This record gives sequence, structure tokens and C-alpha cells, in this order.
Amino acid sequence: MTDRYRGFTFDEAALREDVDIDVDRRREILFAEAQLQKWTLWELLGIPWNAPVEAAKAAYIEKVKVFHPDRYPAKRLGSYRARLERVFRRITEARDVLSDEGRRVPYVRQTAPPEQAAAMEARKLEDERRSEERRARLGRQNPLLQRVGRVKELVARGKHAFEEGKFLQAANDLQLALTMDPGNIEAATLVAEAKRKAAALKANDWFDKGQQFYVIGRMGEALSAFREALSSDSTHVRAAAYAARAALELGEVAEARSFAEQAVKAGPRVALAHESMGLVLEASGSKREAREALEKAIELDPRLESAKERLKKLRWSFLG
Amino acid sequence: MSELEPVIGIDLGTTNSVVATVRDGVPRVIPNRGGLLLTPSIVAVAKNGKRLVGALAKRQAITNAENTVFAAKRLIGRRWGSKEVEDARQFLPYQLVAGPEGNDVRVQLGGRTVSIPEISAVVLAELKADAEAWFGRPVRKAVVTVPAYFNDGQRQSTKDAGRIAGLEVLRIINEPTSAALAYGFGKQMEKKVVVFDLGGGTFDVSILDIGKSVYDVVGVGGDTYLGGEDFDRRIMDWLTFAFAKENGGVDLRQDKMALQRLKDASEKSKCDLSTAPSTAIHLPFLVSGGEGKGALHLDKQLTREKLEELTKDLVERCIAVTDKTLRDAGLRAAQVGEVILVGGMTRMPRVARAVRDYFGREPSRGVHPDEVVALGAAIQAHALVAPQPKGEEVLLLDVTPQNLGLMVVGGYFNTVIPRNTTVPTSQTHLFTTVQDNQTSVRIAVLQGESEKAIENELLGEFILDGIRPGRRGDVSIEVTFAISADGIVGVSARDVATGAEQSITVTATSGLTEDELKRILDEQRDELLERKQTTREFELRRDRAMALVREIDGLRPAVESALEKSRFGKDAIQKAETVIARVRQAIAARDAGAIEVEEEQLDRTLQLFRALAAGGPMPAGG
Repeated sequence: MTDRYRGFTFDEAALREDVDIDVDRRREILFAEAQLQKWTLWELLGIPWNAPVEAAKAAYIEKVKVFHPDRYPAKRLGSYRARLERVFRRITEARDVLSDEGRRVPYVRQTAPPEQAAAMEARKLEDERRSEERRARLGRQNPLLQRVGRVKELVARGKHAFEEGKFLQAANDLQLALTMDPGNIEAATLVAEAKRKAAALKANDWFDKGQQFYVIGRMGEALSAFREALSSDSTHVRAAAYAARAALELGEVAEARSFAEQAVKAGPRVALAHESMGLVLEASGSKREAREALEKAIELDPRLESAKERLKKLRWSFLG
Repeated sequence: MSELEPVIGIDLGTTNSVVATVRDGVPRVIPNRGGLLLTPSIVAVAKNGKRLVGALAKRQAITNAENTVFAAKRLIGRRWGSKEVEDARQFLPYQLVAGPEGNDVRVQLGGRTVSIPEISAVVLAELKADAEAWFGRPVRKAVVTVPAYFNDGQRQSTKDAGRIAGLEVLRIINEPTSAALAYGFGKQMEKKVVVFDLGGGTFDVSILDIGKSVYDVVGVGGDTYLGGEDFDRRIMDWLTFAFAKENGGVDLRQDKMALQRLKDASEKSKCDLSTAPSTAIHLPFLVSGGEGKGALHLDKQLTREKLEELTKDLVERCIAVTDKTLRDAGLRAAQVGEVILVGGMTRMPRVARAVRDYFGREPSRGVHPDEVVALGAAIQAHALVAPQPKGEEVLLLDVTPQNLGLMVVGGYFNTVIPRNTTVPTSQTHLFTTVQDNQTSVRIAVLQGESEKAIENELLGEFILDGIRPGRRGDVSIEVTFAISADGIVGVSARDVATGAEQSITVTATSGLTEDELKRILDEQRDELLERKQTTREFELRRDRAMALVREIDGLRPAVESALEKSRFGKDAIQKAETVIARVRQAIAARDAGAIEVEEEQLDRTLQLFRALAAGGPMPAGG
């Protein structure tokens, strides 16, 4: 029993203090307090290095029975109260660290005896090497992993095409990747953008084609080209505005009106749309509304000479 | 055993309080002088200026709502202007005002402004007096329970209340821990236990690892503003709304007396629905119907189903808090070995069912939900003063319910002691001066869960002053934050270089200042003097009464022999015995008034006995 304290000098004053604690217990408390910073948490709880969590908890409960101040009811403790509290705090810390997975693992490594530390380091390296190897092997064998690789490839290619402005190709690749891996967020976000841009490009192509027919007066072909443009991008304002004029030229006033409305809706701040609306309204006999639409067009774009001309005529006819 | 001075455990509840003790190794509840186990936590000042406590205060609450303080526990240690206090002001019939520093809450009671600890102290003093009547000797030491989720201010104020009541509070312990203690006492069990405590005003959940007689708390959670009163309020709101609809928009909340009757009826109907599927709420003549019209009556049928619908979200909140607490402790519901239900609200079938569904097991019914907390407190009180039998020494290892930390630059909250840390505990923090010759540092200490400082509870501001002058960064002050076994925060500071203790001034606390506490205790001393006078009066009456009793006893043999020969007054002896028993009871309760009442009876009995013993004619009416 006394061997435990070999080489340790007790504070005589503390041993003689007038308190209600027997001498053996005093020695135990003084000794533990002196070792607080020296001992590892394992030593503090009196358990072997890397003892399981349950052992740490059980040892803690036993220690608490000695070192918790509440275990000395109605006793005079003097300086021992503070000593007990210091030891209690430290053993509680020991229990907390050794029973919490996140803090325990680094502590186990940090306090490992030299031969254990070497073995652990070796095992860790071995583990890392093995898991690397395992990943590579799985990649070769597993169709699932092959698929993962294929998805990655498609997303990369899609992104590349997107950056080059080949939106249609990008949309195709990304859509394929998304079907293979519906949870792929990167593909999902990019594919929507690519599709939108691809559609806009297509609509522009058709619009240009329609314009060419329009200027040479082939209104039927122009109208169907504009329709194609609008089916790719229903918000293509100019396509709608010109479709209205082409339809008007062809005498399709009702259709012209619906195109004009589509144009105004898609581009409420586009003069061309309002001008088309004015023309359609004039053709259908609503002169007052036609005038308002044309005024709106001029307000949005004061340089719109054709609209001014129209408006002048309309004013005259109104006066007349 | 009885040589030791008696100690008590007190469950100071939102609606009811209970006092208990350990006698001959068995924990038991002490009945109050009215013979009941539960004492309503209500304090009132009657119209004649008399102070009333407990059942007496409750009985007159309807007719004296403005001077009847209930649910003081919801306000104790709270900051004036806090959300909780603002909410409480909406529905409490008595008036709240700010304290002199503008920090804490006071109530207007009988024309005086009274602090909340003083209100709680009146209840504690009543329980103390009940215990003294029961023991027949003075009681000075107690363990008082608080909800586990109470913060430092609330605990400190509860401890102040104990001091004002003339009690040495040995320890403040958490209600769920206390319940677990009573549950596990003497059973030598080893398992994980969850205590689900839904009381009148607060909800607490605690997880304990019980290893024989060591009760190790591994996690606590809760909501200090969720309890039975919220359930009552749902019923009240429902009734108020229905009443307004049926009576052309009459708002019952405008009438304080009606509101109080409504509150009582709501609470009663809730209790009834724990056993019955449906209950009638009948309140005749609730409010006047306006000029020229008769009074309006309330008549409603409330079913259990409707109650469950009205309070569905409250029950869900309880389960959500339970789930979070379990997850924080790294436990799954299946690892729990026992679930203990505590608090009157757990009698509601829907609550018990929700607990059962969550844990997948039947909760324990082995403990009495109203008494268990006080019993645990008594066990702990006993363990703190009396040597325990070997191997059965009870030891509580409780934890802090909330993070303790400081406000740092940018208004952020920096945790110093994380929640669920076993107490007692301490942590030191180093402060360095940031200006040349800086003489003071102001530290705001907070408790709570938010990253933003202002969203947490401010415990107080500590000003370290008289710092020795030096270049900035040269002076370091080591500040130690300690949490005691009571869960109360202490702060001390030391100059690192010189080792000198640094002075600390505490401001902006939510409770009583030390000066105020002193003033209250002084006032109490005056009252004690008054009480001494009443003690003298009591002693006088007692001695007079006992003299009469002795004389009656002395005449007894003569009376008995006289009666053997007589056909009359056969029951005289029996009548005398009844009177004497009542006198003894009044003396035990130290009730001078009751002795005075009995004195007349004693006098008449004595006259009768004298007449009988002398063999003379019976006095008229005898």
C-alpha cells in the first residue's frame, strides 16, 4: 500500500490539517492531486492504455466515489475541498475524452507506448495502401463504378461543349449523364441552362431564315419560319412581331392579332412589338387603339419613322 | 437517527409545491397543516390585508385576482423586457412592473412592490412551517429543485428565495435528476433512464446513466416555457373564442374575475379528460350581458379528442425536444432502459402515448408523478448531511444545461463551458489589455445556444477594474469561470504576472442585488421579532390550556366513580377526551388562535367535571 507513494513527499501541513478525513484518505487525495498533470488520463483512471470506453466509464465511477466532495457529507474539509474538486474535474475530463469517439482516437494515438505507436503507424499506412488498391480494383470490375466513370466523362464533355458555345451538343451529353445518374446536381443545373441556350440559338436561326423570305415578299414561307422560331423560343419578340406582319400581309388578321399579342407580352418594352400591334389593330378597324399602340411604340423608340408615318395617317383619318 | 437535525427536500413547482424528508431510511412526503400533500404555489394578500398562502390563497383567487400571485416560477430570475415576461404580462391577472434597476420583474401585491424571490420565499416558508409542525422542531436546511433547463439567474434567484425563507439551501438540484433519484433509490439498478418531466410551466428531459447508487446525468434538454398552463391556455382560448361567437363578440379576457374562473374551469376540464372521454364546462353568470340584459352563462362540452386537437403541437414539441436531447447524448431510443414520467401533465393519455410511441416501450408507472421530485430532493438532502450506509452512498453527477460563454468582438458568442459538462467544473480564460494603461475590462457573460451573443441570456456584466497600468498586451488577466454543483456560475480573476486577485463588479443581473437581499433579510428580522411576540402569546395560551387539562385529568377518577352511580352524563369522559385531543393538536401546530377557541370548551368541561366530582346537580345544558 505505502509502496504506491514511494519517493513522494507529502505536505506535512496538509496531513496535519484539522479536517474530518482519515490519514489514508488524505494521502490518497494529496498524491492524486500532485500527479494530475504528470499522469496520462489512463493512469489517472487506473486503466491500461486503450482500455475500452466501458472500462473508462466504470473506472470513473469508482474514482468519483473517492474524489467527489459530496462523498464527505457534513464533514469539515478545509483545503481538501478545493483539492477534491481539482481531482474531480480532471477525472471527469478523463472520462469525457476517453468516452468520446472524436477525442478518444487522437488521444489513444498520442499516448501510445513507443512499440504500439510504430505498429499503429505501420497499420495506418498499410490500411491506406490497401484501400487505394481496393478502389482501383473495384473500378475495373464493378459495372456500377464503370457507370460512375462514364457519367463523369459525359459531364466533362458536356461542360466543354457548353463553354465552346455548342449548346445543343452540351445539352445532349448532359441529358444522357443525368439519365444515368439522376442525382448528379452538376449535370442537372447545367443541362437546363444548355437547353435554354440551345433553344434560343435555334430560334435565332429560324428567325433569320424568316427575315430573308419576308424581305423578298414570300410571306407564306416567312410565316412558317417565324412559327418554327417561336416553337423553339416562345418569347422571341421579333419573331412574333414579324409573324404578325407576315400574317397580316397574307390577310390572316385573327392569327396576326394573336402573334402581335404574343409579341407585346414577351416584350412589353419593345417598340417593334407595339408597332405590329398597331398595324394589326388598324387593319381590324380599331383606329383609336391602333393609335395608342403606335404612340406607345414611338414613345419607346422615337426614331421609329414607319410608325410616325402611320400615326400621321391615322390622325388625319380620325379628323376626317 | 433523530439526533440529526431534520432536513427537507422541496419541489417548488409552478402550480403546486411539495415538501418531503427521509425518516428511518425511507423517503416520504410531509403533509401540510391542512393534511394535504400538495400545497398550491400561490400567494395572495386578502382584502383585509392578511397574507394568504397555498390552498387558502387559491380559494380566494377568483374574487381577488389582482392580488393573487400564481405561477411565480415562470418569472423567477427572468429579465424585464424578455419575451417570456412580455408573454406572461398578456395573461397574468396581477400586475408586473420593472425592478429598480430595470432588470428584473416585480409584482404589485397588496399595494406593495414585491420581488419574485420574495413571493417564492413565502411559499418556501409555508412548507418549512409545515415541516416544522410535522417534526415538532425547527427545520433549517433544505434541498430545492429547479427545472434542469433553468439558467444561472433562475437558480440564483431560487436560492435567494430559500435564504429569504430562512432556509439554508444545501443544494439546488434538477427536477428530472431528483425524480430519477427517487425512482432508483435503494434498487441498485444499472441502466440508462430517461426522465420526461412535463410540469405546470416547464418541460424537462434528462438522460441518466444509473450505476448502482451513482446517478450520472449524460444529457439534459427542455423548454422553460412549455407546460400544463399552455394546455390550459389552449382550452381558455377555445372557450373565449366560442363564447365571443355565441354572444355577439363579448370578450371574456376583459373581465379579470371571469378570466380566473375560466382558467380554473379549463384546468379542471383538462384533468377530467385524463380519465373521462368527455367533460362539461359549466360557468353560470360568467359576465354581465350588458345594460338591461341578464348575465351570460358559459356551457360547453369538451371531448378528449378536441383537447388533443387543440394541443397537438405542444405534444409534438415535447417529442422534438426529447429527440434532440437523445441525439445530443449519442443515444438511440432503443438503448434506453426505462422511461420515467414526471409532472401532472404526463397523466394526459395523449402525452403518455406519444412517449410510448417514440421510445417503443411502456413508460414506468412506478413513481407518483406529483411527489417523486420532492422525494428525490429529500434523498439528496439526506445524503448531504448524514453518513450513508456503506455501498449505498447516493451520488449525483449532474450537468450544465446550456453553454456558458462570453461576448466577443462582433457580437458573437464564444463558449467557455459547453453544455452537458459535469458539474462542478471550471475553465480559465486569458484576457489581455488592448490599450496602453488600460485599467478595466468589461466581460459580458451569457448562457444559451445561439452563435449570436444577443440571442442568449445575459447572466451579468463583470467589470475587472483596478488593473495595474502597463503597455497594451503586457498585462494578462486570468479569469476563471466556475459552475458549482448547484449549477450557479461564479467568476474570479487573477493578474497572471503578479498573482494578485482582481476585483470584480457584477452588474445587470436579472435577480436581486446583494444590498437588496440584505434589506429584505433585515425586514424579515423585524418580522421575526413580531413573530417572537406571537410565540410568547402562544406559550402563554399553551401553558394556560395545559393547566386546565391537568386539572381535568386530576378530577377524572372522581368523575368516573361518580358516573358509575349516575344515569346521566355517561358521555362526559368521551367528550372531554375529544376536547383534550383537539387542544393537543392545536399545540402541536403552534396555533395560538385554535388554542384560544378550545379554551372555552376546556373551561366548560372543567366546570362539568367539578360538578360531577362534587356529586352535585348537573349544570344546565351539561
